[in-house]
Amino acid sequence: MSATDLLQGTLDLLILRTLALESMHGWGIAQRIQQVSKDALQIGQGSLYPALHRLEYKGWIQAEWGASENNRKAKYYSLTRTGQKQLQAELEDWGRISTAIALVLK
Amino acid sequence: MLKEWLTRLRFLISPKPHREIDDELQFHIERQVQEYVATGMPQHEARRKAVVAFGGIESARAQTHEQRPSIFLGTLLQDVSYALRQLRKSRGFTVTAVLTLALGIGANAAIFTLVNAILLKNLPVVDPANLIRIGDNSECCVDSGIQDPGDYALFSTDTWQQLQKNAPEFEELAAMQSGLGTVIARRDKTQEAARSVASEFVSGNYFRTFGLQPRIGRLFTDADNVIGAPLVAVMSYNTWQNNYAGDPSVVGSIFWINTKAVIITGIAPKGFFGDRLSSSPPDFYLPIETVPVLTNRTFVHEPEQRWLYIIGRVKPGVAIAPLRAKINELVRQSFAATTTFSSELGKPYLAKVSVTLSPGGAGIQEMQDDYASKLKLLMWISGLVLLIACANIANLLLVRGMNRHEEMSIRTALGAMRTRIVRQLLTESLVLSMISGMAGLIVAYAGTRMLLAMAFPGAQGVPIDARPSGMVLAFAFGVSLLTGILFGVVPAWITSNADPADALRSGSRATTSGASLLQRSLIVLQSALALVLLVGAGMFIQSLNKLRNIDLKLNATNRYIVHFNPQAAGYSPAQVEALYRTIEDRFHAIPGIRKVGISSYTPMEANNMGRGVQIQGQPDLQDGASWLRTSSEYFDSVGTHILMGRVFTARDTSTSPSVAVVNQSFVNRFFKLGENPIGRHFGSPGPQTSGDFEIIGVVEDTAYNSATWKDHHMYFLPLTQRDPKSARKGPIDGDTSLYAEAIVLQTDRPMDNVQSLARQTLAAINPNLSVVKFQTFDEQIADRFTEDRMITRLMTLFSIVALLLATLGLYGVTAYTVTRRTSEIGIRMALGASRGSVVGMIMRGAMLQTAIGLAAIGIPVAWFCVRYIESQLYESKGISLAVLTIATLTLTAAATAAGLIPARRAASTNPSQALRTE
Repeated sequence: MSATDLLQGTLDLLILRTLALESMHGWGIAQRIQQVSKDALQIGQGSLYPALHRLEYKGWIQAEWGASENNRKAKYYSLTRTGQKQLQAELEDWGRISTAIALVLK
Repeated sequence: MLKEWLTRLRFLISPKPHREIDDELQFHIERQVQEYVATGMPQHEARRKAVVAFGGIESARAQTHEQRPSIFLGTLLQDVSYALRQLRKSRGFTVTAVLTLALGIGANAAIFTLVNAILLKNLPVVDPANLIRIGDNSECCVDSGIQDPGDYALFSTDTWQQLQKNAPEFEELAAMQSGLGTVIARRDKTQEAARSVASEFVSGNYFRTFGLQPRIGRLFTDADNVIGAPLVAVMSYNTWQNNYAGDPSVVGSIFWINTKAVIITGIAPKGFFGDRLSSSPPDFYLPIETVPVLTNRTFVHEPEQRWLYIIGRVKPGVAIAPLRAKINELVRQSFAATTTFSSELGKPYLAKVSVTLSPGGAGIQEMQDDYASKLKLLMWISGLVLLIACANIANLLLVRGMNRHEEMSIRTALGAMRTRIVRQLLTESLVLSMISGMAGLIVAYAGTRMLLAMAFPGAQGVPIDARPSGMVLAFAFGVSLLTGILFGVVPAWITSNADPADALRSGSRATTSGASLLQRSLIVLQSALALVLLVGAGMFIQSLNKLRNIDLKLNATNRYIVHFNPQAAGYSPAQVEALYRTIEDRFHAIPGIRKVGISSYTPMEANNMGRGVQIQGQPDLQDGASWLRTSSEYFDSVGTHILMGRVFTARDTSTSPSVAVVNQSFVNRFFKLGENPIGRHFGSPGPQTSGDFEIIGVVEDTAYNSATWKDHHMYFLPLTQRDPKSARKGPIDGDTSLYAEAIVLQTDRPMDNVQSLARQTLAAINPNLSVVKFQTFDEQIADRFTEDRMITRLMTLFSIVALLLATLGLYGVTAYTVTRRTSEIGIRMALGASRGSVVGMIMRGAMLQTAIGLAAIGIPVAWFCVRYIESQLYESKGISLAVLTIATLTLTAAATAAGLIPARRAASTNPSQALRTE
């Protein structure tokens, strides 16, 4: 499944879930999603960065500049308190929807 | 939530530098490069692959930017400053466009200022929404008898008091005089001359109902409105400021009002101009119980006489429908007790009595009813003019767009998004329309003042402010926005539709068509709209001419009308006969004065008295006539000719037999053809009264009240002869119909000092006798045409502007076509085309658009629209062919002129030069 096939709004959920573990820069987020999904999900940069900035604008994540693992200046994103709440809400939604879809498909 | 807003705010005011996003994206690529290098790829290969893997870096950057609202603000500022620079660069275009639009927007804002002030505004009172008026029409003055249909708005003092007692749904129920009048006032212990001032009689709770606070002193209380209470008055703020310079000692001082001492208790609040819009708002408010004392009129305590309007403040939560039913019941109960409705004739009508509850927040909507249809028409007309202006600007923008074609092609080639270009071009037209809107406000201010001066000539205190209010500003802003979008969106779309490849082909050769179909359509639309306006103006001019050419059957040459008020000067009805003799003698003593007529009112003024008429010995025709009292020289002084018998002489006095003069319409209505009316008797319907007056003469139908009142039956009574009906009823002191209100002076030559002569002469007879109003007879007649003249002038003005704009538009497009086709014309001429055929070719193109505009749209639309103004025209049915022909010819002539100039320029093209212009 490629990034364009991702359900609308799913990318936000993926980003929030990824950032729930630790703060991370854009490249790291893309990598993490790719690894965890065993390369099934590849996030296009063309949608990743707009999404990050959208989430920042909504106040769900916040950004600060820090040193990367190889000591380069990188922009790190972390979950805010509202972001955590939003994640919980979206996870519940996702659970409901996927159960519902699973029921239909059975 | 708060945090989100803070972030939003931070994003809005501090746009992140572009660098930041660039850095972030750059880091991503670098990190990917490292990843690839770590897998053993060579550096340059890793970099190439990382960039490819990333994809469109530009679009990612642009889309990331757009996540922030600050980008919108940033681009907007950028676009606005770019637009301003562009507009500054092409001054000619900008000035033309701004002037055109300012005219269009200004005209609309000016009309809207009036619409807002007259139709939309509430009174400046507390909680206008809770005010309810009982009744909804502008019936006026003093009325009695049965009205059919039975929708009442005027009430007797009795009915008001009963409603006040029995309708607790109203917190307050105020009553006010319907027919505003004047009183003569003079401040005590000053040199001030007695002046005629506007007055209104109101109930004690009037100011309380409106929730008003005095400027200083106190307003009325219920105790002021009691028979025998000390005489008090409240002065309006404007009068206090203008005549007494805001002197606080006015409160508590004595004024002689109609020769009675009245104490001023307070000053009404600033901005309160009474309960209705009027060109002469009240200067003094007086309690209604003082009407008999101050004006000697008795209708205040007569249950048969309806003279009050009622406005109340409902308690919160009162439902209107049941309240209306209850008020109707109460009014019927009150009417049932009157002799009118308890008579056999009146009883059946009682069930038909009804009243409507209407919103009272705007007060009595007399002026609103008067002006609504005219203002709506003006809104339409000014809207059309604006539409034509928009078409013109759109055309100008299209031309500009063509010239900027190359610029747009290059920008597209460099990767500008189409939406971005449209947005920028739209910003340009919006900036243009906003500038025009601001300039339009100046036009609006001047226009409103002009409109006010036209609508209320000579009036001082019209409570309508020409300065743009918040509402007007909002309106002008809205209209500017709308026009900006209207004339900007299509040109922007077309212009942005640039093919990048075009930029590469230098010197794009013009197509033969020159102007686009859209440009031509705009011209067609403009000529059509201009024709509609021209026809409208023509119809109004024709109607006004018809009106002015009506034979009023009077003579206004060297005639002057002096209005005066003997009653306000303290004369009792028993004393007026001697006063009238003195007035006649004193004026006759002045050299140059030929005739002196005295009467209740005069031809072509807004006054009327009517009464039922029955010819003695004939059945009651259920019809009436207007009547007035006149002196012996009156008919000569106004120029009414005698047809039969005689008019009054000095021998028709209070003691001689009752006689009357009637007019031709009266004879036609009440007598059979060929019957001799002289010597017959008539009077108010009834066996006793129908023989009251003997007809001694017949005069022709001089126009009273208005030029269009056809078959106006009238009769005239001697100035000092009491009506036998009222003589039977009571003593002379209650007979207020004996008060004359006008003196008509005829001089043997034009004199410019008649006004001061009249003033001096009256003051010499009695210092309290002052001139209420002075006009030449011509001025008085012209006043009756004010509204018709105003609308005709405005229509003419607007249609001239429309014609001018349409001509300019056609000229612009034709000139543009000629420029674009210069080389084509050069080739044609090189190949042997004559100058005549070139002129013909250009003219055919130009005239074709006009012809389509006129024939296909203009004439049918004008034909169709005339019905909507028919009601405002005098004796006009359908479109007038003469008007249509003249309008069409005018427009064709203008179009010819507009086309001929560029056509001649085209014909003078030098072929060899034209071919080299590439």
